[in-house]
Amino acid sequence: MSNHTNDSHDQAHGDDHEEWDVHAHITDTKFLVAIFSALIVLTVITVAVSRVDLGSANTFVAMLVATVKAGLVATFFMHLRHEKPFNTVIFISAFVFLGIFIFFTLDDLSTRGRIDPANGVSVYARNGELAPGGFTPIVTPEHGAAGEHGAAAAGHDAPAAGHDAPAAPAHH
Amino acid sequence: MSTHGEEDLLNTNYLKAGTGVKSWLLTLDHKRIGVMYLVSIIMAFFLGGVFALLLRLELLAPGRTIMTAAQYNRAFTLHGAIMVFLFIIPSIPAALGNFIIPVMLGAKDVAFPKLNLLSFYIYVIGTIFALFSIISGAVDTGWTFYTPYSTSTNSSVVSMTMAAFILGFSSILTGLNFMVTVHKLRAPGLHWRRLPLFIWGMYATSIIQVLATPVLAITLFLLAMARVFGLGIFDASLGGDPVLFQHFFWFYSHPAVYIMIVPGMAVVSELIATFSRRAIFGYFAIAMSSLGLALVGFLVWAHHMFTAGISEFAAMLFSALTFLVAIPSGVKVFNWTATLYKGSIWLTTPMLYAIAFLIQFTIGGLTGLFLGTLATDIHLHDTYFVVAHFHYVMMGSTVMAFLGGLLYWWPKIAGKMYDETIAKVSFALVFIGFNATFLVQFIMGSRGMPRRYYDYLPEFRPYHAFSTVGSWILGLGFIVYAYVLIKSLRSGPKAPPNPWGSAGFEWASESPPVLANFREVPTITRGPYDYHLTTDEELFDGFPEDAPKKA
Amino acid sequence: MSTASSTEHAAASHGHEHPKWLAHHFDSPAQQFDTAKLGMWIFICTEILMFGGLFVAYAIFRGQEPQMFHQAHEHLNWRLGAVNTIVLLFSSLTAALAVRQSQVGDRKGTSRYLVLTLLCAFGFLCIKYIEYTAKLDHGLLPGRCFGHPWFGDHCIGGGAAVLPAAVHGLSTRAHMFFAIYFMMTGLHGVHVLVGIGVLSWVLMRNMRGDFSKGYFTAVEIGALYWHLVDLVWIYLFPLLYLVG
Repeated sequence: MSNHTNDSHDQAHGDDHEEWDVHAHITDTKFLVAIFSALIVLTVITVAVSRVDLGSANTFVAMLVATVKAGLVATFFMHLRHEKPFNTVIFISAFVFLGIFIFFTLDDLSTRGRIDPANGVSVYARNGELAPGGFTPIVTPEHGAAGEHGAAAAGHDAPAAGHDAPAAPAHH
Repeated sequence: MSTHGEEDLLNTNYLKAGTGVKSWLLTLDHKRIGVMYLVSIIMAFFLGGVFALLLRLELLAPGRTIMTAAQYNRAFTLHGAIMVFLFIIPSIPAALGNFIIPVMLGAKDVAFPKLNLLSFYIYVIGTIFALFSIISGAVDTGWTFYTPYSTSTNSSVVSMTMAAFILGFSSILTGLNFMVTVHKLRAPGLHWRRLPLFIWGMYATSIIQVLATPVLAITLFLLAMARVFGLGIFDASLGGDPVLFQHFFWFYSHPAVYIMIVPGMAVVSELIATFSRRAIFGYFAIAMSSLGLALVGFLVWAHHMFTAGISEFAAMLFSALTFLVAIPSGVKVFNWTATLYKGSIWLTTPMLYAIAFLIQFTIGGLTGLFLGTLATDIHLHDTYFVVAHFHYVMMGSTVMAFLGGLLYWWPKIAGKMYDETIAKVSFALVFIGFNATFLVQFIMGSRGMPRRYYDYLPEFRPYHAFSTVGSWILGLGFIVYAYVLIKSLRSGPKAPPNPWGSAGFEWASESPPVLANFREVPTITRGPYDYHLTTDEELFDGFPEDAPKKA
Repeated sequence: MSTASSTEHAAASHGHEHPKWLAHHFDSPAQQFDTAKLGMWIFICTEILMFGGLFVAYAIFRGQEPQMFHQAHEHLNWRLGAVNTIVLLFSSLTAALAVRQSQVGDRKGTSRYLVLTLLCAFGFLCIKYIEYTAKLDHGLLPGRCFGHPWFGDHCIGGGAAVLPAAVHGLSTRAHMFFAIYFMMTGLHGVHVLVGIGVLSWVLMRNMRGDFSKGYFTAVEIGALYWHLVDLVWIYLFPLLYLVG
């Protein structure tokens, strides 16, 4: 049962089994330790960056660093680098379908009430706080004229206003 | 299988390899596991069917007929949950698929035989949870478990969600097993362009099972947590969003509709090719349309939620995307019809079921377009029109394909032939009964009869009465069908290896197959529908004299 | 392609012995190994989508109330979170090294690295336990229990009468953050427990001498599962502890 370290088997089609023996790429110990060190450095970077207020860019940087880390783990610790390409396709497709899930769900939740302000149901929590998923009810007639703008604004403002409980009802 | 020697594997018919309960319960043979699934799902179908008949009986007349409103709510929930989770999702994939896929591929077993047995036992455990839920007060939420009712009702929601959660893992592991089997265990010469369409359909189904079912798991987990810890994610009074539950639920359950229908299409592709005696028309298009359905199935889920308060943008987007479903579905229907054209059609019972599938799937599919249209959906949403639509797809299509497929592969599974005449009688009863039950529901739905209602206005009475009588004919049809199977098991004549004269690869094995499926591993040199490349000996060995041969 | 040619033919044509760990329905160790890995990758895909549901919930509720999430996340101990990240990354390294040692046939080395991985797993859970008890003691609980003494006031069972209470200067609506925090880390914790089970089984088989240079499938598969646990945490740590 010989193991070898060259990449020739990578060219084989995903379903072909010309070979009898298990051909696994043996990664050098030092190389694995180097990857680990890179992961630690990235962890330090992500913690350090999060201490600096960059506004919404904080999340972006954090996700970017996390994705690089995940990429390192998948590529080298999980051997995707030397696997059949189809395994990478499967791995990536999980994120594609997760993306579909997030995108379409957010498409609903972030656009409710844009056209018809009455569309979003106004919901109040039983303790008097405005529920962030809900929309402010239309109480005054002039609100109807400014329908689209008013509702969209309410959808974004309500959550921010919601931190201090008494302020939320005053919003209307 | 380690208990069998090499000799046994090649020479013993799988039914005779070991007797006694233990040899079945601990088997790793995909054929025996398939048979165990078959028995289980037939029992589930019977249980769900009893609930259906009780529901129809209750609706025979307005007001109370045989049960209270609370009992009625539980009965339709159990009918739905049992039929979806215990019967239809495992029906074709886990029962027929388990048996047929490795044989079609020329493999000795599925890729992970132990995992296969584990999936079966996970299914059994899930079933036990479901039965426990029924005994301990049942569930009255509908099979969809919508919040906020499901988080506030006193019925035993947690055990039923646990049941669906567990059954989901059975489904995932089965799908995973089949995907890997198709990739890694194909016989020499069986490349992707020669794969039988049944395999393509099951492969597409497996993709959906693997990608969608975990989302059901997390949804039901969150629902159970909401009941136990008062989690607010789906609770509007805590700032959560009940409609979010519907997003989560339908992200699984709409693709799950394709878990139910794509296997049906897969079976019908085989039936139509075999009994038309000619190469299937548009092989590549049918294969790709299965994958297309798997993909499109993930893009349309919120069409179940048009009236639930989702945003207008999302509603328009999902409505537009929903029409995409018609493309792969249409591709399939047209290609099957084109296959029939100038074929030598042999009207066996399985073929009759396939033709019934064509008719009923067309009705079910086209009415789906009405429902996908935003404006008409406002009128038709949650009426009997929807009930009729999805029964035409689920029952009128998938169950028909299952019944046809079971008879088609019955000689392979049981090693015996069934009585064609009685089978045709049962088909006639099922076909008439089904259409009598559900066609009329389109009419009453479009006239405003809401679904899941216990009572109704007197003007709907004739429709309901007609539908209920239809359900009795349907029930009778299933009893006759069961009789056909039992009679075949008791006294059916021994089946030849290829009783239908099919060019499909699975018919090259013996009936029933030996433990290793083939005595000699087949080398595939043609496609599964290449009738022009087959010899008469290959197709018509032990073949009935009166059947039409090649076109 | 010799995918399904019967084993004796394969053995004859390739001139190989038929090892006892080669299942009857496979031709060659290479085919069996690739099959196992393909199955595991599909399973990983499933796991990602299962966690995915919680990430969707996170994205939605954080999008609705970014400030509340920011305030609430400051009640998590990022130092413990960072230590746990390093523990888990290190355990991933040892898992990868266990596979490597197994590939070169070093049984003792494999066992040593597997034990190290398991120790890290237990260490991770201990730190998690410290974090959890701190949250429970401060009433930072999910859902209706938020702001109540832990599991007091009949908030278990979804009692509709109990509502979250403001605590530590947090709005009552911070219950949503802690709901997501507990669900995400809880589900991840369950995966750590399962991972401990899987790796212990692999360790046991390794010590029994099941593996060799040509057959180390279980070590590879177990390690893949463990890396998945690490992957999920790589995203959980910044989302929950750092940017909130």
